[in-house]
Amino acid sequence: MKYFVTIDGQERVVEVDGDQVTLDGATVTGRLDPVPGTPVRQLVLDGNPITFTVEPLGPGRWRVGRGGLAPEVEVLDERLRHIRSLTGGGARHGASGILKAPMPGLVVRVEVEPGQEVAAGAPLVVLEAMKMENQLAAPVAGTVTAVRVRPGATVEKGAVLVEITST
Amino acid sequence: MRRVLIANRGEIALRIIRACHEEGLEAVAVHSLPDRGSPHVRAADHAVALGGVAPAENYLDIEKLIAAAKESGADAVHPGYGFLAERAAFADAVVRAGLTWIGPPADAIRAMGDKTEARQRMRAAGVPIVPGGAEPLDGLAQAAPMAQELGYPVMVKAAAGGGGKGMRVVRTEAELGPALEAAGREAAKAFGDPSLYLEKLVERPRHIEIQVLADAYRTVHLGERECSIQRRHQKLVEEAPSIAVDLDLRRRMGAAAVAAAKAVNYRGAGTCEFLVADDGTFYFLEMNTRIQVEHPVTELVYGVDLVREQLRIAGGGAMQVPEGELVPSGWSMECRITSEDPANGFLPDTGTVEFLRAPSGPGVRWDAGIEPGNEITLHYDPMLAKLIVWAEDRPAAIRRMRRALNELIITGVATNQAFHRRLLDDPAFIAGEIDIQFLERRGDLLDAVIPDADASAIAIAAALAESDARGARKPAVAAAGAAGSAQSRWAAEARRDGLQ
Repeated sequence: MKYFVTIDGQERVVEVDGDQVTLDGATVTGRLDPVPGTPVRQLVLDGNPITFTVEPLGPGRWRVGRGGLAPEVEVLDERLRHIRSLTGGGARHGASGILKAPMPGLVVRVEVEPGQEVAAGAPLVVLEAMKMENQLAAPVAGTVTAVRVRPGATVEKGAVLVEITST
Repeated sequence: MRRVLIANRGEIALRIIRACHEEGLEAVAVHSLPDRGSPHVRAADHAVALGGVAPAENYLDIEKLIAAAKESGADAVHPGYGFLAERAAFADAVVRAGLTWIGPPADAIRAMGDKTEARQRMRAAGVPIVPGGAEPLDGLAQAAPMAQELGYPVMVKAAAGGGGKGMRVVRTEAELGPALEAAGREAAKAFGDPSLYLEKLVERPRHIEIQVLADAYRTVHLGERECSIQRRHQKLVEEAPSIAVDLDLRRRMGAAAVAAAKAVNYRGAGTCEFLVADDGTFYFLEMNTRIQVEHPVTELVYGVDLVREQLRIAGGGAMQVPEGELVPSGWSMECRITSEDPANGFLPDTGTVEFLRAPSGPGVRWDAGIEPGNEITLHYDPMLAKLIVWAEDRPAAIRRMRRALNELIITGVATNQAFHRRLLDDPAFIAGEIDIQFLERRGDLLDAVIPDADASAIAIAAALAESDARGARKPAVAAAGAAGSAQSRWAAEARRDGLQ
C-alpha cells in the first residue's frame, strides 16, 4: 500500500509491503513495535531502533513525536488523497487574514479598529499569558474588517481575534 | 525546628520537601485546586488545600498560608522561589506568627528588593554597579533626559522586579514611552508595584551570578553560575563554573558578592547577579534573596546541598561548608524544560502530561514538579522540570546533556526540549561564545525545524502506524459482521472532513 505522508506541509510517499518499507527509492526492512501501556513505539529499520511517540488523532491523522518535536502527521492512501484534492480539503485552514489566539490568554489591548489599514507585521492585539505580554502581529497587509475581542476578555486557543481582508 | 511548611508548588516544593526529610524534618505541603494531584503534595507528611486556581487565591495569600502553618502544626516556613519568596511582608508575617522564616531577614529582602535602594547601598559598599538612575522614575518627562544622559541603549526595569518581568530594552527615544507603559503595567501585575528605573545597557554582556551563603558566623561565596542563555530575560540554560571566569575573576566577583551580602546583614542562601563585559569588567545587577531555580549546578560542582544549608542556618546552626577557599570540581549544566511550544513561537502550551520518561543514569539529576496526569495551566510558571548533569569537564557535560535529552520523553504538552538539543549541537555554544543576547541573534535555534532525516523516519513511523491500525481494524469489522469495511468508513469520514 502506498501512503502519502504530510509533515509540516511537505509530502513524502512511503510504500509499505509487509515488512518492506520504501521511501525515496530506498527499501528497508521496518516494523513498529509498541511499548505496551505507553505511547512509545520503537521503529526498527534494518535492525536499527529509533524511539518515537505515536498518538492517534483521528482517521489518517497521527501525532508522531521525536526529540521533543511532535508534529501532526497526515497519512492518506491514494483514494483518500484523490477525494481530498477534489474537495479542496486541506486548504481550509489557509485563511491567512484571520488572526487567531495562538494560546489561551487575557486580551490586554487591541491596537486596531475596523476599517483601519494595516501592514503585515503590524501589532494587532496584546495577549497576556503567564504574566508575559505577547504582541500578536498582522499575518498579512490589508484592511481590518472585524475586531472580535475587547480588552479584558479571556480567550481560548484558536479564538478569532481580528479579521483582515488582504489587499 | 521540627515541621516545615513549604509555601510553594512544583519542582521547588518537592526539592525542599526532600531536603526536609533528609534533615529529619517533617514537611507540610500547600496546594491550589489544580495542583491537588501534584507530586509535591504526595511527598509531604501533611498537605493543606488552599483552594482556588489563580495564585492570588493560594500561593500568594499570606493570611491563608500563615493559617495553614498554624493549623498543621508547622513551626517554620520555606518560601521557595517566586510567589512570596522575596516579599518582606511575608517574612514579617511568618516571624510575627511565632514561626521560623527560612530565608534572609526581612530587612535584607527589603533593602535588596527595592532595586534603587539596593544600588545606593551597593555603591556605598564599594560594589561596582551599572551606571543609571538611582531614583524611581516619575513618568516620561523625567525619563527622557535621563536616558539621553546615560546614552541609548538603556534598560527600563521594575524597581520591585526580577525574573525579566517589567523589563524593556530601549534603543531610541521613540521607544521610551511605550516601553515605560508596558513595563509599568507588567510590574504592577507581577509585583503589585509599577515603579520603574533606568539603567545604561551594557552591550553583549554575560550574565554571571555568584552564590553566597551566610550564617551567624561567616559569609562565604560558592563560585559563579553562567546564565547567559536567556530568552526575553528568562534563563534557559545555566552552567557552573563559567568558561569566562578564571580564578582571579572568581575571587574578585566572590569578594564583591560577599561584600554585598554583608552590607545588608544577609543570612541564608542568596545570589548576586552580575553583568560581565568582554574585558572582565563586572557590574552588580541585583541580589536575589532566595534560593535560585538554577542552584543545583552549584551544588554539583561544590558538593553542597544549598537547601539543607538553608534549613540548618534557619534552625540556628552553622553551615557545613568547609573553611578556606572552595574550588569547583568538574562541570555542571542545567536545561530548564518548559511548556513553551517552539512550533508556536515559544508561546506557553497547556494540556495534561500524558506520558513521561525522565532521563537517568550516571551524572544525571531530574528535578521535576510533574508526573503523568498533571494538568499544565496558564496560571503558573511554564517551567516543568530541570534537567541537570555533572561531568568532569564542559565538553563531557555537553555530551552527557545530549544523551540525557535524548532519553527524555514528554507527551500531552509541548516543551522546549528540541531547542535544547539544537543548542547543544551549536558550534558557538560549544565554544562558549555566549552572552545574554545570544538567543536574540540566534533566532534560528528557536525555530521548530524538523531535520530531514527525522522527517523521513517520522514519515515511515506514521505510515507503519497507519498500516498497523488498518490491519488491526479489518478483522474486527469482519468478525462483527458489520456492513461496509473499515476502509469505506474512513473514506466517509475523510469526505465529511474535507467538506467542512
